[in-house]
Amino acid sequence: MISYTAYRREFGAGMRAMTPWLVGVAPFGLVIGVSAAQADIPALAGWLTGPLIYAGSAQVATIEMLDAGVAPLTVIVTVLVINVRLILYSAAMAAYWRGTPLWWRLLAGYLLIDPSFVVGIDRYAHAPDRRRAHAHYLGGAVVLWVTWLTAIAVGVTAGARVPAWLHLEFLIPLYLIGQIVPKSRQAVVRRAVLVAGAVALLCLGAPMHLGVVAAIVAGVAAGSLTRANSAPPSQDAHP
Amino acid sequence: MNAWAVIVAAGLGSYLLRVSMIGAADRFRPPARLDDAAGLVAPSAFAALAVSDIAGAALDGGALQASAPLTAAAVAVLAVARTGSAYAGMLAGLPTLWILTALTSA
Repeated sequence: MISYTAYRREFGAGMRAMTPWLVGVAPFGLVIGVSAAQADIPALAGWLTGPLIYAGSAQVATIEMLDAGVAPLTVIVTVLVINVRLILYSAAMAAYWRGTPLWWRLLAGYLLIDPSFVVGIDRYAHAPDRRRAHAHYLGGAVVLWVTWLTAIAVGVTAGARVPAWLHLEFLIPLYLIGQIVPKSRQAVVRRAVLVAGAVALLCLGAPMHLGVVAAIVAGVAAGSLTRANSAPPSQDAHP
Repeated sequence: MNAWAVIVAAGLGSYLLRVSMIGAADRFRPPARLDDAAGLVAPSAFAALAVSDIAGAALDGGALQASAPLTAAAVAVLAVARTGSAYAGMLAGLPTLWILTALTSA
Protein backbone atom coordinates (compact mmCIF):
# COMPACT_ATOMS: atom_id res chain seq x y z
CA MET A 1 0.00 0.00 0.00
CA ILE A 2 1.42 3.39 -0.92
CA SER A 3 0.67 6.53 1.07
CA TYR A 4 -1.90 9.06 -0.04
CA THR A 5 0.90 11.62 -0.53
CA ALA A 6 2.88 9.28 -2.77
CA TYR A 7 -0.27 8.42 -4.73
CA ARG A 8 -1.07 12.11 -5.19
CA ARG A 9 2.50 12.83 -6.28
CA GLU A 10 2.35 10.07 -8.91
CA PHE A 11 -1.07 11.26 -10.07
CA GLY A 12 0.37 14.77 -10.54
CA ALA A 13 3.43 13.42 -12.32
CA GLY A 14 1.12 11.59 -14.73
CA MET A 15 -0.75 14.83 -15.39
CA ARG A 16 2.51 16.67 -16.10
CA ALA A 17 3.76 13.89 -18.37
CA MET A 18 0.57 14.30 -20.40
CA THR A 19 1.10 18.05 -20.95
CA PRO A 20 2.79 17.82 -24.38
CA TRP A 21 -0.07 15.65 -25.59
CA LEU A 22 -2.66 18.12 -24.27
CA VAL A 23 -1.10 20.96 -26.26
CA GLY A 24 -1.09 18.75 -29.33
CA VAL A 25 -4.56 17.22 -29.07
CA ALA A 26 -6.55 20.23 -27.83
CA PRO A 27 -6.57 21.92 -31.28
CA PHE A 28 -7.68 18.60 -32.79
CA GLY A 29 -10.52 18.46 -30.25
CA LEU A 30 -11.53 22.01 -31.20
CA VAL A 31 -11.60 21.07 -34.87
CA ILE A 32 -13.76 18.02 -34.14
CA GLY A 33 -16.13 20.23 -32.15
CA VAL A 34 -16.38 22.74 -34.98
CA SER A 35 -17.00 19.99 -37.54
CA ALA A 36 -19.66 18.47 -35.27
CA ALA A 37 -21.40 21.84 -35.02
CA GLN A 38 -21.38 22.24 -38.81
CA ALA A 39 -22.45 18.65 -39.60
CA ASP A 40 -26.04 17.64 -40.22
CA ILE A 41 -26.35 15.89 -36.85
CA PRO A 42 -27.44 17.22 -33.43
CA ALA A 43 -24.55 19.16 -31.85
CA LEU A 44 -24.90 17.18 -28.63
CA ALA A 45 -24.63 13.90 -30.58
CA GLY A 46 -21.41 15.21 -32.16
CA TRP A 47 -20.02 16.06 -28.73
CA LEU A 48 -21.05 12.63 -27.41
CA THR A 49 -18.59 11.01 -29.82
CA GLY A 50 -16.00 12.31 -27.33
CA PRO A 51 -17.01 10.39 -24.18
CA LEU A 52 -18.45 7.41 -26.10
CA ILE A 53 -15.95 6.70 -28.89
CA TYR A 54 -13.03 8.66 -27.36
CA ALA A 55 -10.66 8.38 -30.32
CA GLY A 56 -10.07 11.42 -32.53
CA SER A 57 -9.80 9.82 -35.97
CA ALA A 58 -12.76 7.53 -35.33
CA GLN A 59 -14.79 10.52 -34.13
CA VAL A 60 -13.96 12.50 -37.28
CA ALA A 61 -14.96 9.51 -39.42
CA THR A 62 -18.23 9.11 -37.51
CA ILE A 63 -19.21 12.78 -37.81
CA GLU A 64 -18.23 13.07 -41.48
CA MET A 65 -19.91 9.81 -42.50
CA LEU A 66 -23.12 10.60 -40.62
CA ASP A 67 -23.09 14.06 -42.21
CA ALA A 68 -22.70 12.44 -45.64
CA GLY A 69 -25.58 10.04 -44.98
CA VAL A 70 -23.49 6.87 -45.05
CA ALA A 71 -25.27 3.65 -43.95
CA PRO A 72 -25.19 3.16 -40.13
CA LEU A 73 -23.56 -0.27 -40.30
CA THR A 74 -20.79 1.08 -42.52
CA VAL A 75 -20.12 3.87 -40.02
CA ILE A 76 -19.92 1.43 -37.09
CA VAL A 77 -17.63 -1.01 -38.93
CA THR A 78 -15.39 1.86 -40.04
CA VAL A 79 -15.04 3.09 -36.46
CA LEU A 80 -14.16 -0.39 -35.23
CA VAL A 81 -11.55 -0.89 -37.95
CA ILE A 82 -9.98 2.49 -37.14
CA ASN A 83 -9.89 1.54 -33.46
CA VAL A 84 -8.58 -1.99 -33.93
CA ARG A 85 -5.16 -0.82 -32.66
CA LEU A 86 -6.80 -0.52 -29.23
CA ILE A 87 -6.70 -4.33 -29.02
CA LEU A 88 -2.91 -4.17 -29.23
CA TYR A 89 -2.78 -1.47 -26.54
CA SER A 90 -5.16 -3.54 -24.44
CA ALA A 91 -2.90 -6.58 -24.78
CA ALA A 92 0.17 -4.58 -23.79
CA MET A 93 -1.53 -3.15 -20.69
CA ALA A 94 -3.17 -6.44 -19.65
CA ALA A 95 0.02 -7.71 -18.04
CA TYR A 96 0.27 -4.62 -15.82
CA TRP A 97 -3.41 -4.64 -14.84
CA ARG A 98 -3.54 -8.35 -13.99
CA GLY A 99 -4.92 -8.90 -10.49
CA THR A 100 -6.44 -5.42 -10.18
CA PRO A 101 -10.12 -5.00 -9.22
CA LEU A 102 -12.66 -5.28 -12.03
CA TRP A 103 -13.78 -1.65 -11.59
CA TRP A 104 -10.19 -0.50 -12.10
CA ARG A 105 -9.76 -2.49 -15.30
CA LEU A 106 -13.08 -1.26 -16.68
CA LEU A 107 -12.17 2.37 -15.89
CA ALA A 108 -8.54 2.14 -17.01
CA GLY A 109 -9.63 0.36 -20.19
CA TYR A 110 -12.18 3.06 -20.96
CA LEU A 111 -9.44 5.71 -20.72
CA LEU A 112 -7.05 3.76 -22.98
CA ILE A 113 -6.08 5.67 -26.12
CA ASP A 114 -2.78 6.58 -27.83
CA PRO A 115 -1.63 9.33 -25.40
CA SER A 116 -2.68 7.53 -22.20
CA PHE A 117 -1.05 4.36 -23.51
CA VAL A 118 2.21 6.16 -24.30
CA VAL A 119 2.40 8.02 -20.98
CA GLY A 120 1.16 5.06 -18.96
CA ILE A 121 3.28 2.23 -20.31
CA ASP A 122 6.46 4.22 -19.92
CA ARG A 123 5.83 4.52 -16.17
CA TYR A 124 4.76 0.87 -15.84
CA ALA A 125 8.10 -0.14 -17.32
CA HIS A 126 10.08 1.88 -14.75
CA ALA A 127 7.97 2.29 -11.60
CA PRO A 128 9.29 0.44 -8.54
CA ASP A 129 5.71 -0.24 -7.40
CA ARG A 130 2.79 -1.19 -9.66
CA ARG A 131 0.40 0.98 -7.59
CA ARG A 132 2.49 4.07 -8.27
CA ALA A 133 2.27 3.34 -11.98
CA HIS A 134 -1.52 2.97 -11.69
CA ALA A 135 -1.70 6.46 -10.15
CA HIS A 136 0.59 7.81 -12.86
CA TYR A 137 -1.57 6.29 -15.60
CA LEU A 138 -4.76 7.58 -14.04
CA GLY A 139 -3.38 11.11 -13.60
CA GLY A 140 -2.39 11.36 -17.25
CA ALA A 141 -5.50 9.63 -18.56
CA VAL A 142 -7.97 11.71 -16.53
CA VAL A 143 -6.44 15.07 -17.47
CA LEU A 144 -6.43 13.97 -21.11
CA TRP A 145 -10.09 12.93 -20.93
CA VAL A 146 -11.17 16.23 -19.32
CA THR A 147 -9.12 18.32 -21.79
CA TRP A 148 -10.38 16.36 -24.78
CA LEU A 149 -14.06 16.68 -23.89
CA THR A 150 -13.61 20.36 -22.97
CA ALA A 151 -11.88 21.11 -26.28
CA ILE A 152 -14.68 19.44 -28.25
CA ALA A 153 -17.30 21.33 -26.23
CA VAL A 154 -15.54 24.64 -26.89
CA GLY A 155 -15.32 23.77 -30.58
CA VAL A 156 -19.04 22.89 -30.72
CA THR A 157 -20.17 26.03 -28.89
CA ALA A 158 -17.66 28.70 -29.83
CA GLY A 159 -16.01 27.38 -32.98
CA ALA A 160 -12.71 28.53 -31.53
CA ARG A 161 -9.56 28.24 -33.60
CA VAL A 162 -5.91 27.99 -32.73
CA PRO A 163 -3.55 29.88 -35.11
CA ALA A 164 -2.49 27.34 -37.74
CA TRP A 165 1.06 28.72 -37.95
CA LEU A 166 1.81 27.40 -34.45
CA HIS A 167 1.58 23.81 -35.77
CA LEU A 168 0.91 22.57 -32.24
CA GLU A 169 -0.20 19.23 -33.66
CA PHE A 170 3.48 18.64 -34.51
CA LEU A 171 4.29 18.43 -30.80
CA ILE A 172 2.93 14.88 -30.82
CA PRO A 173 5.48 13.33 -33.23
CA LEU A 174 8.23 15.36 -31.52
CA TYR A 175 7.18 13.95 -28.16
CA LEU A 176 7.15 10.43 -29.62
CA ILE A 177 10.68 10.95 -30.95
CA GLY A 178 11.69 11.82 -27.40
CA GLN A 179 10.27 8.51 -26.24
CA ILE A 180 11.67 6.38 -29.06
CA VAL A 181 15.27 7.57 -29.38
CA PRO A 182 16.52 6.73 -25.86
CA LYS A 183 14.93 3.26 -25.99
CA SER A 184 16.44 2.53 -29.41
CA ARG A 185 19.86 1.91 -27.87
CA GLN A 186 18.75 -1.72 -27.44
CA ALA A 187 19.13 -3.65 -30.72
CA VAL A 188 15.77 -5.42 -30.34
CA VAL A 189 13.86 -2.18 -29.81
CA ARG A 190 15.84 -0.41 -32.55
CA ARG A 191 14.88 -3.11 -35.06
CA ALA A 192 11.21 -2.93 -34.01
CA VAL A 193 11.21 0.86 -34.32
CA LEU A 194 12.91 0.93 -37.73
CA VAL A 195 10.66 -1.74 -39.22
CA ALA A 196 7.48 -0.20 -37.76
CA GLY A 197 8.51 3.22 -39.09
CA ALA A 198 9.29 1.83 -42.55
CA VAL A 199 6.00 -0.07 -42.77
CA ALA A 200 4.06 2.98 -41.55
CA LEU A 201 5.70 4.98 -44.34
CA LEU A 202 4.90 2.35 -46.96
CA CYS A 203 1.30 2.12 -45.77
CA LEU A 204 0.67 5.87 -45.60
CA GLY A 205 -2.14 5.63 -48.12
CA ALA A 206 -3.87 2.79 -46.29
CA PRO A 207 -7.34 3.76 -45.15
CA MET A 208 -8.69 3.80 -41.59
CA HIS A 209 -5.44 3.69 -39.61
CA LEU A 210 -4.71 0.20 -40.98
CA GLY A 211 -1.20 1.33 -41.86
CA VAL A 212 -0.50 1.93 -38.16
CA VAL A 213 -1.83 -1.51 -37.27
CA ALA A 214 0.31 -3.19 -39.97
CA ALA A 215 3.34 -1.20 -38.79
CA ILE A 216 2.88 -2.24 -35.15
CA VAL A 217 2.51 -5.91 -36.10
CA ALA A 218 5.59 -5.74 -38.37
CA GLY A 219 7.64 -3.94 -35.71
CA VAL A 220 6.75 -6.47 -33.01
CA ALA A 221 7.53 -9.36 -35.37
CA ALA A 222 10.89 -7.88 -36.38
CA GLY A 223 11.88 -7.18 -32.78
CA SER A 224 10.84 -10.67 -31.67
CA LEU A 225 12.84 -12.27 -34.48
CA THR A 226 15.89 -10.22 -33.53
CA ARG A 227 15.50 -11.28 -29.90
CA ALA A 228 15.11 -14.96 -30.88
CA ASN A 229 18.18 -14.84 -33.13
CA SER A 230 20.34 -13.08 -30.55
CA ALA A 231 19.27 -15.22 -27.57
CA PRO A 232 22.08 -17.38 -26.18
CA PRO A 233 21.73 -21.03 -27.18
CA SER A 234 20.13 -23.17 -24.51
CA GLN A 235 22.08 -25.98 -22.81
CA ASP A 236 19.67 -28.55 -24.29
CA ALA A 237 20.58 -27.52 -27.78
CA HIS A 238 24.32 -27.66 -27.14
CA PRO A 239 25.14 -30.31 -24.59
CA MET B 1 -30.95 3.79 -37.10
CA ASN B 2 -30.43 7.46 -36.25
CA ALA B 3 -27.19 9.31 -35.46
CA TRP B 4 -27.58 8.79 -31.71
CA ALA B 5 -27.87 5.02 -32.04
CA VAL B 6 -24.90 4.84 -34.43
CA ILE B 7 -22.71 6.84 -32.04
CA VAL B 8 -23.75 4.71 -29.04
CA ALA B 9 -23.09 1.47 -30.97
CA ALA B 10 -19.72 2.72 -32.24
CA GLY B 11 -18.82 3.79 -28.71
CA LEU B 12 -19.82 0.44 -27.22
CA GLY B 13 -17.81 -1.42 -29.87
CA SER B 14 -14.77 0.79 -29.24
CA TYR B 15 -15.03 0.13 -25.51
CA LEU B 16 -15.16 -3.63 -26.07
CA LEU B 17 -11.98 -3.36 -28.17
CA ARG B 18 -10.31 -1.47 -25.30
CA VAL B 19 -11.13 -4.06 -22.65
CA SER B 20 -10.89 -7.13 -24.93
CA MET B 21 -7.50 -8.32 -23.71
CA ILE B 22 -7.69 -6.76 -20.25
CA GLY B 23 -10.69 -8.87 -19.28
CA ALA B 24 -8.84 -12.07 -20.08
CA ALA B 25 -5.73 -11.10 -18.14
CA ASP B 26 -6.62 -13.05 -14.99
CA ARG B 27 -7.75 -16.23 -16.72
CA PHE B 28 -5.04 -16.32 -19.35
CA ARG B 29 -1.37 -16.05 -18.52
CA PRO B 30 0.53 -15.71 -21.79
CA PRO B 31 3.82 -17.51 -22.35
CA ALA B 32 6.97 -15.48 -21.67
CA ARG B 33 7.63 -15.12 -25.38
CA LEU B 34 4.25 -13.43 -25.90
CA ASP B 35 4.90 -11.18 -22.90
CA ASP B 36 8.21 -10.14 -24.48
CA ALA B 37 6.43 -9.41 -27.75
CA ALA B 38 3.82 -7.30 -25.92
CA GLY B 39 6.70 -5.18 -24.62
CA LEU B 40 7.55 -4.27 -28.21
CA VAL B 41 4.06 -2.96 -28.96
CA ALA B 42 4.79 0.43 -27.37
CA PRO B 43 7.99 1.33 -29.30
CA SER B 44 6.49 -0.02 -32.52
CA ALA B 45 3.31 2.00 -31.99
CA PHE B 46 5.29 5.14 -31.14
CA ALA B 47 7.38 4.78 -34.30
CA ALA B 48 4.34 4.11 -36.48
CA LEU B 49 2.41 7.08 -35.07
CA ALA B 50 5.42 9.43 -35.32
CA VAL B 51 6.24 8.45 -38.91
CA SER B 52 2.59 8.79 -39.95
CA ASP B 53 2.33 12.25 -38.39
CA ILE B 54 5.63 13.51 -39.81
CA ALA B 55 4.97 12.11 -43.29
CA GLY B 56 1.44 13.52 -43.15
CA ALA B 57 2.82 16.98 -42.34
CA ALA B 58 5.44 16.67 -45.08
CA LEU B 59 2.85 15.72 -47.68
CA ASP B 60 0.66 18.69 -46.76
CA GLY B 61 2.51 21.15 -49.00
CA GLY B 62 4.90 21.10 -51.95
CA ALA B 63 8.40 19.65 -52.07
CA LEU B 64 9.95 22.77 -50.52
CA GLN B 65 7.43 22.90 -47.69
CA ALA B 66 8.01 19.19 -47.00
CA SER B 67 11.55 19.95 -45.90
CA ALA B 68 10.31 21.84 -42.81
CA PRO B 69 8.70 18.94 -40.89
CA LEU B 70 11.34 16.47 -42.07
CA THR B 71 14.19 18.71 -40.92
CA ALA B 72 12.39 19.51 -37.65
CA ALA B 73 12.02 15.78 -36.98
CA ALA B 74 15.70 15.17 -37.79
CA VAL B 75 16.73 18.02 -35.45
CA ALA B 76 14.53 16.52 -32.74
CA VAL B 77 16.16 13.09 -33.14
CA LEU B 78 19.62 14.66 -32.84
CA ALA B 79 18.61 16.76 -29.84
CA VAL B 80 17.23 13.77 -27.95
CA ALA B 81 20.22 11.59 -28.90
CA ARG B 82 22.68 14.25 -27.74
CA THR B 83 20.95 15.28 -24.50
CA GLY B 84 19.14 12.08 -23.54
CA SER B 85 16.13 14.23 -22.61
CA ALA B 86 12.75 13.27 -24.06
CA TYR B 87 11.68 16.93 -24.03
CA ALA B 88 14.70 18.17 -26.01
CA GLY B 89 12.99 16.96 -29.17
CA MET B 90 10.08 19.32 -28.66
CA LEU B 91 12.24 22.24 -27.55
CA ALA B 92 14.49 21.94 -30.61
CA GLY B 93 12.00 20.61 -33.16
CA LEU B 94 9.10 23.05 -32.90
CA PRO B 95 11.14 26.28 -33.31
CA THR B 96 12.94 24.61 -36.25
CA LEU B 97 9.56 23.89 -37.82
CA TRP B 98 8.40 27.50 -37.33
CA ILE B 99 11.56 28.99 -38.84
CA LEU B 100 11.72 26.63 -41.82
CA THR B 101 7.99 26.96 -42.50
CA ALA B 102 8.34 30.75 -42.52
CA LEU B 103 11.37 30.57 -44.83
CA THR B 104 9.93 28.04 -47.28
CA SER B 105 6.54 29.72 -47.56
CA ALA B 106 7.97 33.24 -47.95
